[in-house]
Amino acid sequence: MNPGIDLQGSFVRALIDLGLPSGVAKTVWLPLPMLLMLVVATVSIFICVWLERKISAGAQQRIGPEYVGPIGALQAVADGVKLIFKADITPAKSDPWLFAIGPAIVVIPVFLSFLIVPFGQNLVITDLGIGIFLWIALSSIAPIGFLMAGYSSNNKYSLLGGLRAAAQSISYEIPLALSVLAVVLMTNGLSTIDIVNQQSGYGFLGWNIWRQPVGFVIFWISALAECERLPFDLPEAEEELVAGYQTEYTGMKFGLFYVGSYVNLMLSALIVSVLYLGGWSFPIPVETITGLLGVSESAPVVQLLSASLGIVMTLIKAYLLVFLTILLRWTVPRVRIDQLLDLGWKFLLPVSLVNLLLTAGLKLTFPFAFGG
Amino acid sequence: MLNFLKQVGDYAKETAQAAKFIGQGLSVTFDHMKRRPVTVQYPYEKLIPSERYRGRIHFEFDKCISCEVCVRVCPINLPVVDWEFNRETKKKTLNHYSIDFGVCIFCGNCVEYCPTNCLSMTEEYELASYDRHNLNYDNVALGRLPYKVTNDPMVTPMREFGYLPKGVMDPHDLPAGTQRAGRLPKDILAELETQKAKEDAKKASVEAAE
Repeated sequence: MNPGIDLQGSFVRALIDLGLPSGVAKTVWLPLPMLLMLVVATVSIFICVWLERKISAGAQQRIGPEYVGPIGALQAVADGVKLIFKADITPAKSDPWLFAIGPAIVVIPVFLSFLIVPFGQNLVITDLGIGIFLWIALSSIAPIGFLMAGYSSNNKYSLLGGLRAAAQSISYEIPLALSVLAVVLMTNGLSTIDIVNQQSGYGFLGWNIWRQPVGFVIFWISALAECERLPFDLPEAEEELVAGYQTEYTGMKFGLFYVGSYVNLMLSALIVSVLYLGGWSFPIPVETITGLLGVSESAPVVQLLSASLGIVMTLIKAYLLVFLTILLRWTVPRVRIDQLLDLGWKFLLPVSLVNLLLTAGLKLTFPFAFGG
Repeated sequence: MLNFLKQVGDYAKETAQAAKFIGQGLSVTFDHMKRRPVTVQYPYEKLIPSERYRGRIHFEFDKCISCEVCVRVCPINLPVVDWEFNRETKKKTLNHYSIDFGVCIFCGNCVEYCPTNCLSMTEEYELASYDRHNLNYDNVALGRLPYKVTNDPMVTPMREFGYLPKGVMDPHDLPAGTQRAGRLPKDILAELETQKAKEDAKKASVEAAE
């Protein structure tokens, strides 16, 4: 297996060569990937907002933003600046502490989950042993934030919205976790790096989507529900609940909810591409290409090219999924709350259980194909 | 057992059908992405109002005979006609006339029924103002002529569907001199007049022969 470029190793070695002790060199390295990830996540908001506006406009035969920045790319910046300058109002008789903490609790876990998103063999902040489980655990913190925001706003719409958000998140977490479990069963590990490596054998034919088609669909539906995207955006259904738990929020606290939802969308798309679409792997394995061209895999140029190809592939897969989400948004009508819970508990949960059992059975019968 | 299997089968069939319908919907939305936007960039581009556009009402003070027909045919008796009877000429003299466009529904009944044609519909539609009382137009305001979209150097005039050639849906980048579908009213009128003149001449010649 190709080890890929080791940025951390070479950076630390360069600092040690400059005369720093190895402990200091490692400490200097530590914040760099985290900062980079924060920047990547923040930039992804702008891209997602731009895509959302332009694709929505395309689906409705409009033009979309045009004047803010080149082809309207800075529209999200304009929105953000406007939100920053708005008065920050805390409603009367609300709980000011919960009201202030709510949005932060929604946003922070989403950013934390970027810890385990891999862009290459060594291009990940930490290759945790619990990997994907960390994401599941962190994503179940968000409903607490929604509940806090809804409860503290002193507004019945906010409260109902918060309760709905919590109910939705909790009920869709189970099929989500079960379909992840099926993938984990095939990988024999929770680490996201292992999950991608397990798929990278036969190019795009080895991707998990062929072995887990049902799991893929269930995961995608549950991820949409977790992100509160249409057709599952009923915690903020304006026709019924004004804006749900966001009703009383203004300024940057309101903006934080939006930041959270867009980063969460991007994160879910990345995780789907890691779990089911082979992460950073190119549809044709890089080893095959280098073999055909007759170049050594460990040549520095090839290493650099394959690393950048990996990053581009991960992002392409993720943005294709984001595109699909936005298209779905204008295709599917919003479901009612009872339909939502019916779908979650009566359809996705049993189907994902069957899927898990089936995967276990297939693993026992065909260990070579299902990671026995 | 068989019943249960049948239930499962029906459920699976329903699920497949739902997935099929969602796929069809997705293909419809995807198809819309490649269509050209219908946007008219409003302050910079404006549609040319159609010939029968019912915009702000124009009033010609000197033609009005204060008959108040406009008030009678108005659904809410909106026009205010302030006149005095002049005993010497035995005629009504009009002092003031006003219509409140905040209340008017632009039905055009007054224009239809005005015996002296002193009321007419214009193509002006930009009536926004900061105070609703500004919408109460008096006879001076009603007498102003609207600014034509085609004469405004700041605005690119766009043709409405009715003015476009047959089969064309997009008013942008039309070649110069393109005609709309059908014939122009002035051509039809000219033809009718020549036809009438011909018939008259025929009639006259027949009469002369008799």
